[in-house]
Amino acid sequence: MPVHDVLIIGAGLAGQRAALAAARAGATVAIMSKVHPVRSHSNAAAGGINAALNPDDSWESHAFDTVKGSDYLGDQDAIEIMCREAPNEVLWLEHAGVTFHRSAEGKLGTRAFGGASAARTYYIADITGQALLHVLYEQLMKHHEQIDRYEEWFITGLAQDDEGNCVGAIARNIRDGAMELFTAKSTILASGGAGQCFKPTTNALICTGDGIAQAYRIGAPLMDMEMIQYHPTTLQGNGILITEGARGEGAHLYNAEGERFMEKYAPNKMELASRDVVSRAEQTEINEGRGFPDGTVALDITKVPRKRTLEALREIVNIGRDFAGVDITREPIRIRPGCHYIMGGVKADINGATSIPGLYAAGEVACVSVHGGNRLGANSLLDTLIFGRRSGEHAAARAAGMPAITASRAQVRDQEREIADLMNRSGGRRVSEIRDELGTMMNEKVAVFRDHAGLTEAHEVVRRLKDEARFATIDDRGTVFNQDVLGALELGYMLDVAECIVVGALERRESRGAQFRTDFPKRNDDEWLKHIDLSMNGGDAPKVSYSPVTITKWEPQERTY
Amino acid sequence: MKLTLKMWRQSGPDAPGGFQTYVVDGVTDEMSFLELLDVLNEQLVGEGEEPVAFDSDCREGICGSCGVMIDGQAHGPQRGTATCQLHMRLYKDGDTIVVEPFRSAGFPVIKDLMVDRSAFDRIIEAGGFITAPTGSAPDANLIAVPKMDSDRAMDAAACIGCGACVAACPNGAGQLFTAAKLAHLNLLPQGQPERQRRTIGMVEEMENYFGSCTNHRECSAACPKEISIDFIAMLNRDYRKARR
Ligand SMILES: Cc1cc2nc3c(=O)[nH]c(=O)nc-3n(C[C@H](O)[C@H](O)[C@H](O)COP(=O)(O)OP(=O)(O)OC[C@H]3O[C@@H](n4cnc5c(N)ncnc54)[C@H](O)[C@@H]3O)c2cc1C
Ligand code: FES
Repeated sequence: MPVHDVLIIGAGLAGQRAALAAARAGATVAIMSKVHPVRSHSNAAAGGINAALNPDDSWESHAFDTVKGSDYLGDQDAIEIMCREAPNEVLWLEHAGVTFHRSAEGKLGTRAFGGASAARTYYIADITGQALLHVLYEQLMKHHEQIDRYEEWFITGLAQDDEGNCVGAIARNIRDGAMELFTAKSTILASGGAGQCFKPTTNALICTGDGIAQAYRIGAPLMDMEMIQYHPTTLQGNGILITEGARGEGAHLYNAEGERFMEKYAPNKMELASRDVVSRAEQTEINEGRGFPDGTVALDITKVPRKRTLEALREIVNIGRDFAGVDITREPIRIRPGCHYIMGGVKADINGATSIPGLYAAGEVACVSVHGGNRLGANSLLDTLIFGRRSGEHAAARAAGMPAITASRAQVRDQEREIADLMNRSGGRRVSEIRDELGTMMNEKVAVFRDHAGLTEAHEVVRRLKDEARFATIDDRGTVFNQDVLGALELGYMLDVAECIVVGALERRESRGAQFRTDFPKRNDDEWLKHIDLSMNGGDAPKVSYSPVTITKWEPQERTY
Repeated sequence: MKLTLKMWRQSGPDAPGGFQTYVVDGVTDEMSFLELLDVLNEQLVGEGEEPVAFDSDCREGICGSCGVMIDGQAHGPQRGTATCQLHMRLYKDGDTIVVEPFRSAGFPVIKDLMVDRSAFDRIIEAGGFITAPTGSAPDANLIAVPKMDSDRAMDAAACIGCGACVAACPNGAGQLFTAAKLAHLNLLPQGQPERQRRTIGMVEEMENYFGSCTNHRECSAACPKEISIDFIAMLNRDYRKARR
């Protein structure tokens, strides 16, 4: 039974940053991931990371943009911390070897991003996430004496002691199917988002909301779950992302009639309004018949000088060529709004602590809430790093003052039994079928525009799929790299997360940020300037409660771009 | 279209492996190579057979998980792309395609098309990092980095660690991966203090797992990020200097 001070679940940017911080603070650390760390989804982040580093910019301006972007649902104390600590974090990364873009004079260069009042997005071409992740992994290697890496281990559940403290987690070794209890004085969830609840999505296949569901199952409240970001520029069909960096570099959006329609919706910021605004504009154009027949509008990157596109958007050039058969330097590419990011997650404070003692959460799995109703582009990488580091530090400090802990192996046996049952089932629906039905349905009913009827129907479907999933069958019964078993477990997590998304969306009877209710089209601060918290109700349906939004400096105002 | 796949099957690291022939019908131009494998797996599962195990995650050429030998070429016949970016429009009805795992002594097979690439991690562990100064970070703009160096470092940093370079090399050499990782750090001002130690550590660790480079240049041709062979020349120069 491996024992550590701090156990970190997930090795994306949030997890790796937490591991480094905890190790620096003197803790013994284990970091665990269901895929090799550098394959984590943080890899896919393209556009960049925000920081008010320029002398003529200020963290207050960054913070205000973030608050406004969140449609005033973000907690301003947390937003202040994130924006204040951003410049040092970016500099630290630079010193560790991240090759941020440099201008001709050798200075750090920035690009413009949506919803921002200054160009403060630092970037590495359009492979920012990959560049950061690889450099952090190098740093992890440097600390290999203090940090044990468990790569290709799949966490199946969080472990608790009799008092309800989180004391580690139970994991399955993907290579041989063995189950193990990892105990730790502090456990940090950094297991990323849940985009796979929707189909298509920009998220990788591994983003199945495991951590969100696992925390929820041991009683931790989830917050802002209704807030799902639809990114304005994704490819039809497979959902692949065209980074906001494209619009940051100057690309325009047109409808099928050749009209630059953002003039009608956001006359000042145009294509660089915040994401919820742009996605809604596109969807309105499409719904009102001004899109192309395949349900898309056009993104015209030919406005950007070809040389610049080839340098700064090289991955997008490849994606256009490989996945859409389009040379983006010469012709527009068809795009539509697509599921991209979950603003909600496990409710955590500014140090990553959740309401379960010993359990922390950071990154996309968590909801601090710095993004509120709508995340600004390039604020997520920042969130993973700042709150990853802070949770690492606090988790280590908590562990330092603690006697050894005890955990019962009975929990391992429970999970072993569950997996054995799953392998022995026959006759039910296939896991992959249920997963497809869930994703397609969510993308239809819980998307850019929502209403009571559609959400109620969505809830019924999720409940039915939950019942079906209990009897679903898998085909592979082996132990070595059994991806089927993992798929079945992931489906269970996705269904819990999807149910919370739908229940939150039904509950919020107003329109704010990413949640637009056609039956309640206005923002209603009198009733709904509050977070919706969801927790497991003993049984198996989420229980709703509310928590206040922290406001420090910026009172809610009307939001226009 | 209808395709015949000659597929490497191996149930575990120590199990003997061999080719199995499968026919897949209804393949369309728009499918990616991994989607072809998905279709095959659906079919196998329908027939009560075990699906083919392969790595994939992002499916857009960025994570470096995927990677198989397709007709003897790492990531297949198309230049500058990973397996997940390869589309079936390159094939025609009736084609036969041979699919195998990346083959190299340094990459033992785990199952079917999956290999263990952890030797790459050992190389990084042997020095592939910068010891960043602690305490408050000075302004990064105080040390201007010439754009040319920064751009070259960035080209090297584009490596996704997929291992195609090793698989493509007749000697199974790990030079291109190691060279890219080294160059990324060795080109930057902040990478200078540890340059020699890093170079020696990584190059010598590499030699523990991989064959030696005799300039076949297959690595760069197979690299989905088209990382230049010039970085290998830089590795050699840096190593000679460090050992002097
Ligand atoms: C295509 C795309 C582009 C983006 N571009 C940007 C951008 O330009 N700027 C920006 O700020 N944000 C961007 N984002 C968002 C940002 O990339 C993510 O929100 C962020 O990287 C999430 O990081 P994370 O560390 O929280 O999680 P991840 O990087 O997703 O890591 C999750 C980790 O948890 C592990 N894990 C999960 N479940 C389990 C389990 N059951 N057992 C064991 N391990 C598990 C995984 O293996 C992985 O290591 C983008 C997102 C996408 C999809
Ligand atoms: S699946 Fe990520 S590079 Fe191919």
